[in-house]
Amino acid sequence: MAKTAQEKIDAKKEKEYYKKHKKMYRTTPGDVVFNVLNYTFFGLFTLTCIFPFYYLFINTVSNNDLVKKGLVNFYPKGFNIDNYIALRQVSDLGSAFIVTITRTIIGTILMVLASAFVGYLVTKQEMWHRSFWYRFLVITMYFNAGMIPIYLNMALLGLTQNYLVYIIPGIVQPYNIILVKTYIESIPSELEESAFIDGASYMAVFRKLIWPLSKPILATIAIFGAVGHWNSFQDSLLYMQGNSSLFTLQHRLYVYLNTSSNLAALMSQGRTAAQQAMEQALNAKVIKYTISMVSVIPIFCVYPFMQKYFEKGIMLGAVKG
Amino acid sequence: MKEDKTEKKGAVSSLYIVQRIFTVLMIVMAFFPIANPAKICGLVSRKISLFTSAVSYSSLVGECKRAFRMNWIDEYIFIITFVGALIAVIGIIATGVGICASLGNLKLQRLGLRFTIFGTIGEVVGYIVCFVSYIILKGNVRPDKLEKVNPDFPIGVIVFGVGAIILLALSLAISAKLPKVPEGMKYEMESKYKLFLMFLPFALLAFLFCYLPLYGWRYAFFDYKSGGTLSADNFVGFKWFTYLFKNEATRRDLINVMTNTLAISGLNVVTSWIPMIFAVFLCEMRSMKFRRIVQTFTTIPNFISWVLVYAVALSIFSTDGFINTFAKQIGLLAPGKTGPNYLMGDSMTWVKMWAWGTWKGVGWSAIIYVSGIAGIDQSLYEAATVDGAGRFQKMRHVTIPGLLPTFFVLLLMAIAGILSNGLDQYLVFRNAENAEHINVLDLYVYTLGIGNGSIPLSTVVGMFKSVISVILLFAANGASKLLRGESIV
Repeated sequence: MAKTAQEKIDAKKEKEYYKKHKKMYRTTPGDVVFNVLNYTFFGLFTLTCIFPFYYLFINTVSNNDLVKKGLVNFYPKGFNIDNYIALRQVSDLGSAFIVTITRTIIGTILMVLASAFVGYLVTKQEMWHRSFWYRFLVITMYFNAGMIPIYLNMALLGLTQNYLVYIIPGIVQPYNIILVKTYIESIPSELEESAFIDGASYMAVFRKLIWPLSKPILATIAIFGAVGHWNSFQDSLLYMQGNSSLFTLQHRLYVYLNTSSNLAALMSQGRTAAQQAMEQALNAKVIKYTISMVSVIPIFCVYPFMQKYFEKGIMLGAVKG
Repeated sequence: MKEDKTEKKGAVSSLYIVQRIFTVLMIVMAFFPIANPAKICGLVSRKISLFTSAVSYSSLVGECKRAFRMNWIDEYIFIITFVGALIAVIGIIATGVGICASLGNLKLQRLGLRFTIFGTIGEVVGYIVCFVSYIILKGNVRPDKLEKVNPDFPIGVIVFGVGAIILLALSLAISAKLPKVPEGMKYEMESKYKLFLMFLPFALLAFLFCYLPLYGWRYAFFDYKSGGTLSADNFVGFKWFTYLFKNEATRRDLINVMTNTLAISGLNVVTSWIPMIFAVFLCEMRSMKFRRIVQTFTTIPNFISWVLVYAVALSIFSTDGFINTFAKQIGLLAPGKTGPNYLMGDSMTWVKMWAWGTWKGVGWSAIIYVSGIAGIDQSLYEAATVDGAGRFQKMRHVTIPGLLPTFFVLLLMAIAGILSNGLDQYLVFRNAENAEHINVLDLYVYTLGIGNGSIPLSTVVGMFKSVISVILLFAANGASKLLRGESIV
């Protein structure tokens, strides 16, 4: 079996660790008890974190009759993907998907561009009143006017019941700007200086030097920003009252979870006889599970990429601007 | 000769300062509903600004749909108003661009002046168009509906118009005083202004979404109902502030809400050592593979929204969830019986909420400690081993002291954020039975303001929350400075 690079590194680390601490870790009976307890605890806790998602999954791909009887608990029984096909008929789910996907893409791209650019600008000492403007941004992290004044402000700007409310307010993110700024400051300034001597403009330096060099941190904020957009619920809840066609996926899911267990309530009107017959085989609980599953899958998909950036993000976050 | 030149320069720069201040004022005013030149009749909402009128026709005529249908007024009048507002806003933008260009060298200043002159002329034209539409409206409205439509002289036309004319005069004055552009001069600007202008759009965004909402605090001083207006008639001073504490019902609510908020946050603060201990014990496991698996899966819940957490909770704890179906399968629950819904009920709501929060966050919070442990000097452990320290002694005397600074910072941040539990978790887990004990401050503000429409009262509560949070943050920062000589913000 081929080992991945990461596994090889792990194995090497482990070996070194043992060699180094041979004396330190002479196994005593106490150690054995400790290890058993420790491994059991972490094993069980990990299980509580992953089992619910597994449980949702097996229920959505099993035979619906068995699910109804509550017989699918640990492994799928009677494979079927009707539930996923039936999602096409769930009213308003399609628009929620489109809204969420587009806002994730557009919102993340604009946020990353803005964070990178502003992060670069605030490293420039020669900017007019730089420290004042930098503080002007950073203060907003610690202080806000409150939910209702912010809501009224959105109404004042004509952003309620407007798709743009998902995009524009999220462009300037002081926390991400601090992360980028900190990162750019760690790039040797000689690089930039030599570019300026060659006659490059600020924009050219940003585009050709800063942007490529700060890609790791930009990837970090992009992934965290995308997850934030995907999980967005509160802005839809507050600003989209009465305009259900612009609900985000999470808001839609919240509505579904709170509607009656009546399947018809979830489905769009005007069904053919064949569709109705198919619905007989479905049940509301499983449809809700399926919607949940569909909205969690993208997170699981980007998760492996995210992990790479966890530590970078969280450690840089500890460094204040 | 030279003296004369500097004097002239001084006069121009002071004119410029006045011009800049005026322009900024006009741009800011375009975002406020007061004195909106497009408000030509009572049907135009008093809540929309000139800017909104110009970008969104549907907001401008939002309340006129019925009037159009019933033929009280003709729609084309509002299209004229809209066009007028649009021209005015474009003019304002051009003026703003001109002001930005005035930071450059002579050639750029000249260009900027062209922008300001044409911009202000455009503005004036726009205001005149708005005014014309008002005149047409006044003449055209069906006489019996005059009161309903209520044509309203747009005072904004005068206010903005005078502003624009002053700006125009200033620009012309500057234009007369500026020397001619020498041949072969290039557009140039000092780099400090260049950088500032590049930064400006983002500062504007921050202003719009973080500073402008503070203006909404004025609602706390009015007797405002949703859809109503703010005017001298319903100004009530500090009525809502005293009402909050004097009124029996709101006082009881507030005490209940504060108890819940402080109880749940308190549980979180008291148990904030858990991620640290989690990390310490995690690092005691020698199998790197197992550690990686644990870290991978315990971090996942942090990236799942609260709505999804609730979906997961339903699948496990509800009447037909995993626990009940499994109990039936192994015979703990009689087949015909329905099991309990563990999510309903009001027993230990605070602890349950804390537990969900911890389940979701502990793996993620532990990461910072795991990397902290990796950074501890290995020779310390070796020295401790030589001194005969066991596993737990090493934890107590080496690992944990090494992590304490991080812990301390996070603890202070947790204390500073004690009033901000967030809304999502409590909203999704709320139900008829636990409503009393789950009602934290954010949820209370949400239900009060959005649900019940008590805008002033919820604004007052939000103001208290914001101010107290900032005070707590400064206190935490001060404590950190005092104890560790380092600030945390």
